[in-house]
Amino acid sequence: MILEYYRPETLEKALLLLSNQTPKTVPLGGGTVLNAPSPEDYAVVDLQALGWDVIEQRGRELRIGATASLQMILDHGAIQPALRKAIQQEAAYNLRQSGTAAGGLVSGGGRSPYLSMMLAMDADLVWQPNDAVVPLGEFLPLRGGLWPGAVISEIRINAQIQAAFHFIARSLADKPVMIGAAARWPSGRTRLVLGGYGKAPITILDGEANQGVLDGAETAYLTAGDQWASAEYRSEMARVLAQRCLEEFE
Amino acid sequence: MKLNLTINGSQIEVESTPNETLLKVLRRMGYFGVKHGCETGECGACTVLLNGKVVNSCVTLAAQADGKAIETIEALGEHPEQGWKRTEGLHPLQESFAESGAVQCGFCTPGMILAAKELLARTLDPTESEVRDALSGVLCRCTGYVKPVQAVLHAAAVLRGEAKPGEMTGESELLQALFRPDSLPPAPPPAIGPGGTRTAVRILPKVMVAPDSETRTQIGKPEIKVDAIKLVQGKPAFTDDFERRGMLVAKVLRSPFAHARIKKIDASKARALDGVAAVLTHEDIPRVAYSSAGQSDPIPGPLDMFSLDDKVRYVGDRVAFVAAETEEIAIQALSLIDVTYEALPAILDMGEALDNEIILHDQPEYVDFDQSDASRNLAAHIHIDIGNVEHGFAEADHIFEHEYEVPKVQQAHIEPHIVVSYWDEDDRLVIRTSTQVPFHARRILAPVLGLPIKRIRVIKPRIGGGFGGKQEVQIEDVAAHLTIATGRPVRYETTREEEFIASRSRHPMRIKLKTGVKNDGTITANAMYALSDTGAYGCHALTVTGNTGHKSMALYVGDGKYREKPNIQFIADIVYTNTASSGAFRGYGVPQGFWPVERQMERIARALKLDPIDFRLKNALRAGELQPFSTAWSEGREPSPEIIETNGLVECVQQGRAAIGWDSKYSNKDWQQVPGKPHLRKGVGVALVMQGTAIPYLDMGGASIKLNDDGSYNLLVGATDLGTGSDTVLAQMAAEVLGVPVEDIVVYSSDTDFTPFDKGAYASSTTYISGGAVVRAAQAVAEQMMMRAAKMLNSQGGYALVDPTEIVLENRLATAPDGRSVTMAEIAHNSLHHEDQVQIMAVGSYVSPVAPPPFAAQFAEVTVDIETGMVTVDKLVMAVDSGIIVNPVTASGQIEGGMTQALGYAVSEEMVYDEKGIMRERDFSDYHIFAAHEMPELTTIFVETFEPSHPFGVKAVAEIPMDGVAPAVGNAIQHACGADLSKNPATPERIWQALKQVTPG
Repeated sequence: MILEYYRPETLEKALLLLSNQTPKTVPLGGGTVLNAPSPEDYAVVDLQALGWDVIEQRGRELRIGATASLQMILDHGAIQPALRKAIQQEAAYNLRQSGTAAGGLVSGGGRSPYLSMMLAMDADLVWQPNDAVVPLGEFLPLRGGLWPGAVISEIRINAQIQAAFHFIARSLADKPVMIGAAARWPSGRTRLVLGGYGKAPITILDGEANQGVLDGAETAYLTAGDQWASAEYRSEMARVLAQRCLEEFE
Repeated sequence: MKLNLTINGSQIEVESTPNETLLKVLRRMGYFGVKHGCETGECGACTVLLNGKVVNSCVTLAAQADGKAIETIEALGEHPEQGWKRTEGLHPLQESFAESGAVQCGFCTPGMILAAKELLARTLDPTESEVRDALSGVLCRCTGYVKPVQAVLHAAAVLRGEAKPGEMTGESELLQALFRPDSLPPAPPPAIGPGGTRTAVRILPKVMVAPDSETRTQIGKPEIKVDAIKLVQGKPAFTDDFERRGMLVAKVLRSPFAHARIKKIDASKARALDGVAAVLTHEDIPRVAYSSAGQSDPIPGPLDMFSLDDKVRYVGDRVAFVAAETEEIAIQALSLIDVTYEALPAILDMGEALDNEIILHDQPEYVDFDQSDASRNLAAHIHIDIGNVEHGFAEADHIFEHEYEVPKVQQAHIEPHIVVSYWDEDDRLVIRTSTQVPFHARRILAPVLGLPIKRIRVIKPRIGGGFGGKQEVQIEDVAAHLTIATGRPVRYETTREEEFIASRSRHPMRIKLKTGVKNDGTITANAMYALSDTGAYGCHALTVTGNTGHKSMALYVGDGKYREKPNIQFIADIVYTNTASSGAFRGYGVPQGFWPVERQMERIARALKLDPIDFRLKNALRAGELQPFSTAWSEGREPSPEIIETNGLVECVQQGRAAIGWDSKYSNKDWQQVPGKPHLRKGVGVALVMQGTAIPYLDMGGASIKLNDDGSYNLLVGATDLGTGSDTVLAQMAAEVLGVPVEDIVVYSSDTDFTPFDKGAYASSTTYISGGAVVRAAQAVAEQMMMRAAKMLNSQGGYALVDPTEIVLENRLATAPDGRSVTMAEIAHNSLHHEDQVQIMAVGSYVSPVAPPPFAAQFAEVTVDIETGMVTVDKLVMAVDSGIIVNPVTASGQIEGGMTQALGYAVSEEMVYDEKGIMRERDFSDYHIFAAHEMPELTTIFVETFEPSHPFGVKAVAEIPMDGVAPAVGNAIQHACGADLSKNPATPERIWQALKQVTPG
C-alpha cells in the first residue's frame, strides 16, 4: 500500500526523497504497476513535475525522457517500425498513455515486447545524480535491488540502426510466449534478444552475426519451459524467430 | 491530503489518501459513469480523460491527478428534455452509440465513448484502424466491437459537419433495406468519407425473410434500445451506483489450500481491529446445505455447499467474511484471522476423481440429486440410449474413435459480481444485486439466511454482463449474513482476481466420441462419453453436461432409415475436483459438445474424402423430425417428445458459404498460399450447430402491463436484461399488440416485490418465454382497451354499435370499422377518472411445451504460420436460423458478441491450474479476451423461419454463436495446414505439435 506520495518539482528534492528507506521509497512514473493493490508498504515519488516527458532527437540519438509515455514514443516520427510494433504489442491504447519509457524498463518481465526491443537496441539509461550512463543490459540483472537516492532520467537509443521484432502469441494482441528482437548497426554489429520467458529477456548475440547464432538461440531456451509454453517449443521457436529477425537485415 | 481537481470543468477540493485511486475518489464523489472492472488497468471500464488524455483511473492515484483537469462521461451531453428545462442534448458520440446499437450491457460504454472522444479530438477523420486502436484499451465482452467502431466513425462524420453518410433515415427505408429480397438490386453502399471510411447509422445484418411471416409495425424494427440513452450518459443504473448511509465494506478470506480441514479459526484479533463491524466464520452462522445454481425448484443438483464450512475444497474457497468501515480495514482484518488448516490431499485432475479415496464431500448434510454419489466424487451421472448404438456400429463400414478435450473458461463479464444488502424499515432484508435470477436468488437464500421468502426483497438493477456467471447465488449470502450480523448495509464486490479464482466457469470436459459411418457417408451410430469437471461444487453439473449431449449429439441423426430411428448414446460422469466450481456459461454445455462433434465430422469427411458440407447436411436433423433426445432427457425432469417444426440449416449453409467465399477457397490451393510469405497458409472451415430455446414444461416467465393516464403503459417483467436487449424486444412485443410506439412502453425489470415472477435470464429463453408472457399480458390489456373503446364509441349515439372485437389498436388509436376512433389517452382518462372507473391492466404467464432449436452454419477463415503454429482468425461468418427477428440490431449484436466470446474459446481463453491447485489466470493480462484492434471481420446473416409455437414466431439467438466458432476455426486450421487438433484453444504450441504429426504432401 502506498503510504506517502510526493511530487517534487526539482531533481534535488526528488533525489532527497528517494534516499529515504523508511518506508521504502520508489520513483513513480505512470503508475500502471505501482498503483495496483499491493500488500507491501512504500512511499512514491511522482516524477511528473520534473519535465522529463519529452523526446528529443540529437543526430542519430533519440533521448527519451523517463516519464515520456509509451504512446509518445510510438507517435515519434523517428522511431523504427520494429520498436513501434513492440510498443503496440506491449499494451493497449489506455495503458500506453500512462506507461512510461523508464517504467516499462524497470517493471517489464521476460514477456515484455518493449523491454525486449529496447534491450536489443542496446538502450542506455541515464541515471541521476551525475548523468551516469548504464546500459540496459547491465541494469536488468540488478533490477531487484534498491537504488536509494537515484533515478533514471532518460533513455537513449540509436534511431538510425535497423531493428526487427517478431513474436508468437495466442492472438495479435495477446502477451507473447516468445519474442525475437534484434538490431543491427551500420558497422555490422548485431544484437539479438529472446523474450517471452522468465523475469527478463536475454541477449543472445552482441557482435557479428554468424551461423552459430541460431544454434545459440535454440540452446539458450533449452530449459525455458513454464505454464505458458514448453521448453521444447520455445527452444525451437527461438531459432525460428532469431532467423526471421536476422533475415530482415539481409 | 488535500487535492485540487478540476472535474468536468468545476474546480473541486478533495480530501484523499496517498494510496487512493482516482477511480475511488470519482466514484465516492458520485461520478458513477466511471466503472470498476479490474484493478490492473486492463479492462478500461474506469477510463477518464486526464488533461485530455485517456487514462485508466483504477491505476492512477488521485494524487497524480492533483491540479489537473478530469473529464468523465457526465461531462458530455444529457437528455435534451428535462421538464421545463432544455439542454443541448446528447453528444454526437452518445447519440451515435445509442443509434448504432453499440450499447449492450452498457458497462464499458462510458469508457468507450471517452476513448472515442479523445480520438476525435485528435482527428475528425479517423480510419477504422485508428478507431480500433483508440478503443483497444476498453474491453467489451458483449458487442464484438462492430457497432462501437461504426458508432465512432459515424459520430466523426457528424462532427465533420457532413450529412449523415449512408444513413438510412426513414423507418420504411430501414425495413426495406432489411427485407430486400435477393431479386432486387442491392442497396447503394454508404457514402465514402474523406478518410476513406464508410459510415452508417446502424450495422444491420442480412435477413432472409420467412415467407409466412406477417408484416408487423414493431416486430422486426431496429428500435433503439430502451435503456441506451441512460447508459450512454453513464447514469447510475448499476448495483454499485447506489449509496446508503453507514454502508460497510465486505471482504472474504479465501483458502490458500486446494483441500484442507479448518482445525481452528481465531478471529479475535480481527474483531478487535478498529473499524471492523463483524467477522463471521463457520462457527458463527447456521450450517445449511444448499446449491448456488440459479434454477427452478427443485434444483436439479446436489445440495453440497454451505455459506461457510469447516472444510475448504479449492484455492480461493471461502474461509471467513469480514465487514468493516473501509476496504483497507477489511483487508487488514483478513490478515488478522488466524486459521489452522489440516492440509488434505487434493484431486486436481478430473481423470483421477471418480472412485478416488480422497473424498471432497464427506459431510453428512450432503443431499443427493438423482444419481449423484458423493462417496465416488460423482456430482451427477447421465446415461441416455436412443436406439441401439451397437447395432449401428455393426452396420457401419467405418468406425471413427477419437478423444477430445475442452478447457475451463471464464464468463469474464466486465462488471464483477456485486451486491448491496440492508434491512428496510419493515425489517425486511433488501438485496440489491447484479443477478440473472432474482426470484431464484430469493428462494435459495431464504433457508440459508433463516428468513421466510416474504421477508426478502431482491432488486436487480442494470447488469453489467452476465453470460451465465450471474445465474448463480454466488455472493448474495456474504453481504446478507453480514447485514444480519451487524444490522447495517453491506456492500460486497469481487475483485477481478476473485472473479477468476473463485467464480464459476465453463465445465472443462474430456470427451470420447465413436461414430459409425457407411461408405456413402451415412452415419449409423454416434456415441459420446463425457467426463465433466464440476470443480468443488456441483452447480449446474447435471444440466450443463446433459445439454452437451442433448444438443450436439442430436444434430447428426444419420440418413435414410436412421432418420427415423437414430442410434445415439450419451453417457456422462460429472465429477468433483479441488478446483473452482464450474457453472453456467453462455451455451450451457453445448460448446463443449460441438468441439468434438464437429471436429469428428471433419475427420470423417476427410478420411472418406466426402465434401464436408454435403456430408454434414446429409446426416443433419431436419424439420418434421423428432428431436431425438426429447424423449430421453429433460434437465433432470420428465421428458416429452418434440418435433422440429422449423429448420433453416440448408439455407444457412447456402448463405454462409457464399459470404465466406467457400466455393472459391476450399479447393483452391493457390488461394491457400500467401504471396511472399511461404510460412503462411490460409484455410476455411465450417461447423453446423443447434441450440435450444428455453426449458419445456418448467421455466415460466411472467409480465404485467398497466395503462397510464396518457395512454402509455408500464411493462413490469421479472426477466433480466443482461445487456442482450431483452427489455427492448419485450417492449416491442407489447407495443406491437397494443398499437403504440415502443416509447410508450415503460419497462421495469426487476424486483421481487413488484414484478411478476420470471425464471430469469438463461437457457435462451427471455425473448421466447418472457416474450410469450408479455404478449399474453398485452393481449389481455388490448382486449380491455377494445372493450372500453367500443363502450366510448357506442355512447356517442347515431352510429351502428361497434363490436369490441372489431376495434383495431394502431398508432395510439383504437379505431372502429366505421373509421371513428378514440385515443389511448382518452381511453385511459375514461377508465381511470370518468366512467365505471377501473385500472386497465393484466398479467400474463408463459410456459412452453417445446424448446424449438435455432440452427446455424458457422464459417471461419484463418491464416496459420506453419513454422510457429500461430493462427490468426481473419473472418467469421455466421448464418443463423433465428426464427423471426424482433430487433435486427440487438439480435445481430448478440451474434457478433457471441462469436467474439467463442473466438476466445477457439484460440486464447483457458484457465490452468498448477500442481498445488493455484490458477494461472488472475487478471486480463493472462486471461486474454479479444480487444477491438485484433478482431477478425464478423458477418451475421439471419435466415428467418416462423416458429409456430410462439405468437411472433421467435426462436433464440443469444447462445448459439458460442457453439460453432471453435470447431470451425479448428477445421479451418486443418484445412490450412493439416494440423488436426483434439484440444482447444488452438494455441500456437498445440498447432505446432499437431503439425509435427502431419504427413508431408
